[in-house]
Amino acid sequence: MSKKITVSKAIGEALHEEMVRDDKVFIMGEDMAVMGNVFAITRGFLEEFGPNRVIDTPISEEGFCGMAVGAAMRGMRPVVELMYDDFATVAADPLLNQAAKMRYMSGGQATVPMVLRAPMGAGRRNAGQHSQSLENFFCHFPGLKVIAPCTAKDAKGMLKSAIRDDDPVIVLEHKLLYAKKEEIPEEEYLIPLGQADVKREGKDLTIITWSREVNFSLEAAQTLAAEGIDVEVLDLRSLVPLDWDAIVKSVSKTHNVIIVSEEVKRGSYAGELSAQIAEELFDELDAPVERVCGLNIVPPFSPTLEDENFPHPDTIVKAVKRVLNK
Amino acid sequence: MAFEVLMPQLGLTMEEGTVSQWIKHEGDAVKTGDVILEITTDKLTNEVTSEHDGVLLKIVAQEGEDIPVKGLLAYIGQPGEAVGGGAAPAAVPAAPAAQTAPVTAVPAAPAPASANGARIRISPLARKTAAKLGVDYTGIVGSGSSGRITQRDILAAANAPKTAAPAAVEAAAAPAQAAKAGSLELMEGDTVIKLAGMRKVVSQRMWASHNEIPPVTQNIKVDVTALMKFRKMLLAETGKKYSVNDLILKATAKCLRQHPEMLVSLDGDQIIQRAHVNLGMAVALDAGLIVPVIRDADKLSLDALSAAAKDLATRAKENKLGADEYKGSTFTVSNLGMFGIETFTPIINQPDAAILGVCAIHDELDMDDEGKLFKKQVMRLSCTLDHRLLDGSVVAKFEMDLRDLLQSPMSILL
Amino acid sequence: MKTLANKKYSKEQLTDFYRTMVRIRTFEEKAAECFTKGMLAGNIHLSIGQEAAAAGAFAAIQPQDYFTSTHRGHGHAIARGMDPNLCMAELFGKKTGYCQGKGGSMHIADMKKMNHLGANGIVGAGQGISAGSALASKIMGDDAVTVGCFGDSSTNEGTFHENLNMAAAWKLPVVWFIENNCYGVSTEIHRVTNTPDLAPRAAAYDVPFAVVDGTDAVAVYEAMVKAMDHARSGKGPYVVEAKVYRYQGHYCGDPAVYRPDEYMEKALENDAIEKMGKRLMDLGVKAEELEAIRKAADDEMNAAVQFAVDSEYPDPSEAVTDVYSSDNERCVAR
Repeated sequence: MSKKITVSKAIGEALHEEMVRDDKVFIMGEDMAVMGNVFAITRGFLEEFGPNRVIDTPISEEGFCGMAVGAAMRGMRPVVELMYDDFATVAADPLLNQAAKMRYMSGGQATVPMVLRAPMGAGRRNAGQHSQSLENFFCHFPGLKVIAPCTAKDAKGMLKSAIRDDDPVIVLEHKLLYAKKEEIPEEEYLIPLGQADVKREGKDLTIITWSREVNFSLEAAQTLAAEGIDVEVLDLRSLVPLDWDAIVKSVSKTHNVIIVSEEVKRGSYAGELSAQIAEELFDELDAPVERVCGLNIVPPFSPTLEDENFPHPDTIVKAVKRVLNK
Repeated sequence: MAFEVLMPQLGLTMEEGTVSQWIKHEGDAVKTGDVILEITTDKLTNEVTSEHDGVLLKIVAQEGEDIPVKGLLAYIGQPGEAVGGGAAPAAVPAAPAAQTAPVTAVPAAPAPASANGARIRISPLARKTAAKLGVDYTGIVGSGSSGRITQRDILAAANAPKTAAPAAVEAAAAPAQAAKAGSLELMEGDTVIKLAGMRKVVSQRMWASHNEIPPVTQNIKVDVTALMKFRKMLLAETGKKYSVNDLILKATAKCLRQHPEMLVSLDGDQIIQRAHVNLGMAVALDAGLIVPVIRDADKLSLDALSAAAKDLATRAKENKLGADEYKGSTFTVSNLGMFGIETFTPIINQPDAAILGVCAIHDELDMDDEGKLFKKQVMRLSCTLDHRLLDGSVVAKFEMDLRDLLQSPMSILL
Repeated sequence: MKTLANKKYSKEQLTDFYRTMVRIRTFEEKAAECFTKGMLAGNIHLSIGQEAAAAGAFAAIQPQDYFTSTHRGHGHAIARGMDPNLCMAELFGKKTGYCQGKGGSMHIADMKKMNHLGANGIVGAGQGISAGSALASKIMGDDAVTVGCFGDSSTNEGTFHENLNMAAAWKLPVVWFIENNCYGVSTEIHRVTNTPDLAPRAAAYDVPFAVVDGTDAVAVYEAMVKAMDHARSGKGPYVVEAKVYRYQGHYCGDPAVYRPDEYMEKALENDAIEKMGKRLMDLGVKAEELEAIRKAADDEMNAAVQFAVDSEYPDPSEAVTDVYSSDNERCVAR
């Protein structure tokens, strides 16, 4: 049994199911309660769960992220939303110095089972402080888990797993995916963290990607198939933990790799993956690994400018052909 | 202080060499006299041996790199010792010699994969696959970006049919042989010697020729009684001692000038008519075989031809041949007469179309018109032809004319 | 400033304060000695001069209550009743330390038994964590109060204002205890702050506050009792500022040349342990009894040092453990 719902509704279902299941789960963030979130993800939650568990915060990102850490250390399971992942810079200390490090620095005494939902990504013409993809920023810090699902099914199943996880989990949600309607199972289900998903099988080249670029990669794959190029699309879904086995399996099959993300190319997580593949799968490679990312620029506002700054299907097609010399 | 291993000068004209294979690897112990790497000059493969005991500390010149004579190849020293002198000299890219044709029996210095002769672009996977299948990728033109050799290219080379493009075939030839290595069961007392250096090149070349060419060997008997007398007469009259081989070379060169149809080469779907009578002359060495070339042999006097043959043979044995002295043959002569061989089936030295085997001279009884027995001296010539290019009757005419020439020795000089 | 010298406290109660203060100072002196001898790695920040604040405050904190601490947190640990052996071992980076050698001096915490939410190396981090713990108490409906212990300088962090504002708006059961020793490393607080006291900033959020003499354990205790009652009764946060002295520089070995001589002169005139000792003798406690307390503390802290010295360092393989609660190996591998 399946049903067709939007990604934002799928996320809302995950939150709802987990709040019903576990009264330690609560939600806090800007415009989450009375308004029910700018994407209507938590509409109706305030009435159902009350103001103690659905909390509208002031615009104090460092403050409420810090509170989430403290509450999580007490055994609560806060699910915090930053309205944009760009605001993580304001909340850097609680996320990167506190949530990420608390367990290690206490010698394993603390657990910080919090979730930070961080809407991210380009394409909404929101300019430099509301359009970033900060995978590298979060993945850099040991102690954080980082996921970036694309489909409604993955978004729901993985958010539920993230809420149940005892570590702080950053959930990167692409804003332009929220409105997409997709099939998801009717019944309750979980998708574990750290499991990549082959969204399309192929033999000539592996596209490693995540979040919205999965859809673009699938589009590119279709175009390429018409030209006789058979690419595999590996949706990582989870960046930390990383499903390395899936990468090994795919790269060992296709021997050619591109990594597609919306990040600033310099210092990107795509670059990190490229390095790992070069280090450990060197002998499997038939061509250099190519990163297909954004430019090393500030996300621009004007549509013609912004469109230059994240990979589109045709960018991906070109990159694949470049790597395969076709 | 670590010792430097330098590119040796092999032959007077050698300016640079290509590192073809490292036999020892970084960290390996080496003793004086150990072969540490193989280098190829234009057409010749040589081994470089260690002059010191110690450890191969650092390899400076990678496989496929062209290094000038006296250029740094590696360091040998004691474990942990720092290697001296900072950065290694940059490899000087070879200006590829304009090759008329790959020609000698010993060769196989493959064209580097990249056009400018710099290091070969090959993907890691392709390199691994090549090692696994034993494919020599140095001659392959890659299909990847920037001409990179990819796994597909290696697989294609490994599976290439015999008539495929020459480079691929040459590359594919070695592996099929090498792939057999190590499969034999050793018996007591056996020793294992690595196929390397000149032996390896001879092996590859012969195998390739034998597999590519449909050969026919035609033997013809020559009465050399007069020739032998003529030789003595020359000695008596001029004081110069010519070998039988000199006379045969002279006769062959002369006869070939009259039979240009023998001087052809097959190049893909083209037949190349050679203009010059360049006589290859097989010279046996301890390490294998090399074929120095007497250029325009038909234009040389017996005296000059004799001197050239002697000079080339001597320098071949001393490994002092220049790179251009063992390429460009259009026909080859291989003489086993001095060993008492009565007939044999020589293997064509590609891309020649034929090769002449010269056999031993021995006495034979014959009967004249009056039924009277007499003794004469005879010798067989064994000519192998490439049946793709030449037919038996065509070569038979050449052999008959050559026989007649040798049987009327004065005409050799006319 | 409220100072109290009333007589309603028994000899035993005051002796307890005295003992706690002596134990804190002795612990710090032993740690300093080890540091000077090169037995400790890193830095240590000593709370000598702030013993009365810790002793007084923690006497008011109940077992079910939670607290956060700071880089200058040894005194809080001792006052809370933590084991000096395990504290000292953590300073030494030993496996037997509270954090198994992964935190060190700035991060000593007993989270399981002492409701300790971590000593923190980031000034201002405890504001969010303590307020968050209070939020958890409110959501769960328990009667725990969370105490955030901070220094003066943390009141200039944004988190002070963000979290105090939220705690006040949501009436969270949290008490913030500021030990004002007047110095942020080398910078005298009044050079960078425009109010004579710090706690009155709470008024901006309509949060009650008190400023007390932090060299008087009893005064601190009384202010904290009032604050804890306020928070526990559901009225929201409370801020207490205790004026203390930092006898050492910022860290052990800092000669504090930036400080005027009068600072230490006044500090020594107001030494909390001396003052409490006099008060006890006025109540008839004999000098030998006080000497016995000091001797016991000396023996205890010597034993703590010995315990730390005798303990093993963590195995190098433990560098990669406890980064994550689950899937640790895979998350650390790449």
